[in-house]
Amino acid sequence: MLEAANPQADLFRALADPTRRAVFERIVKSDEISVAELTRGSGVTQGAISQHLKLLKQAGLIAGFSVSQPAISQHLAALRGVGLVSERREGRFAYYRAQPQALAPLLDWMDRYRAFWPERIEKLKDVLKGMDR
Amino acid sequence: MTGAAKDQEPIVLDYDLDEAPEKVWRALTDPALVAAWLAPNDIADSEVGERFSLQRAAEPSVECEVLESEPARRLSYSWRETPEHGRPLDSVVTFEITPQPGGGSHLRLVHRELETAGGGGLVSALQRATNDNCKFKGWSLAWAA
Repeated sequence: MLEAANPQADLFRALADPTRRAVFERIVKSDEISVAELTRGSGVTQGAISQHLKLLKQAGLIAGFSVSQPAISQHLAALRGVGLVSERREGRFAYYRAQPQALAPLLDWMDRYRAFWPERIEKLKDVLKGMDR
Repeated sequence: MTGAAKDQEPIVLDYDLDEAPEKVWRALTDPALVAAWLAPNDIADSEVGERFSLQRAAEPSVECEVLESEPARRLSYSWRETPEHGRPLDSVVTFEITPQPGGGSHLRLVHRELETAGGGGLVSALQRATNDNCKFKGWSLAWAA
């Protein structure tokens, strides 16, 4: 089926890929992160939780990203394409930040339906009251 | 209205109704009744695989396909706003009807986005990610509202 190109469709499509979403989640959790750190996929965030994660990884209970740097770079390009991630270049290094305001269409979708359904169910109640049996 | 266990669901609404499950089912599947509370439609028999559309007046129209149909118990259909309106986030609406002592029904409506390949819905995954970071407190509040 042919779909009309639009920014919101692109946003949803960019986030539908689980690896890309995981990359975005990692960027969200760090203030700013380099490709190398993203590729390494461990020991980047501070605090006890990341220590626990590290131990779990060493124990083989959970996996970090087993994604190559070119693959990470492709995902980053897709995320930048829809405005979810911004890039800062410093010499030969690039750093990435999350731009959560790009998620606005998702929040908008949620808000619309959070308002929509209660209204409709009130009408459903009226319909039920008006039915014979 | 929603318990902690349901936090992963984008939208969960619970209602206690006086009417029996069979009557609630009819209101959810009869085209004329659905038109009266939801939108004009071309619903035929609410069998699994049936496609229908909802022509909402002030909102984008919606294309649906019946995914689960268990009379007087459970009705589930995909919910996809028509692409020309620019919000083609695939989602699923489920109505669960539970008979109550005394002849009434409990109706639970769940509207969630389609499961992604990684398991769990898209909005839920992002909700988890943003909730973990104090930078996004404002956004977390928006999710929780």
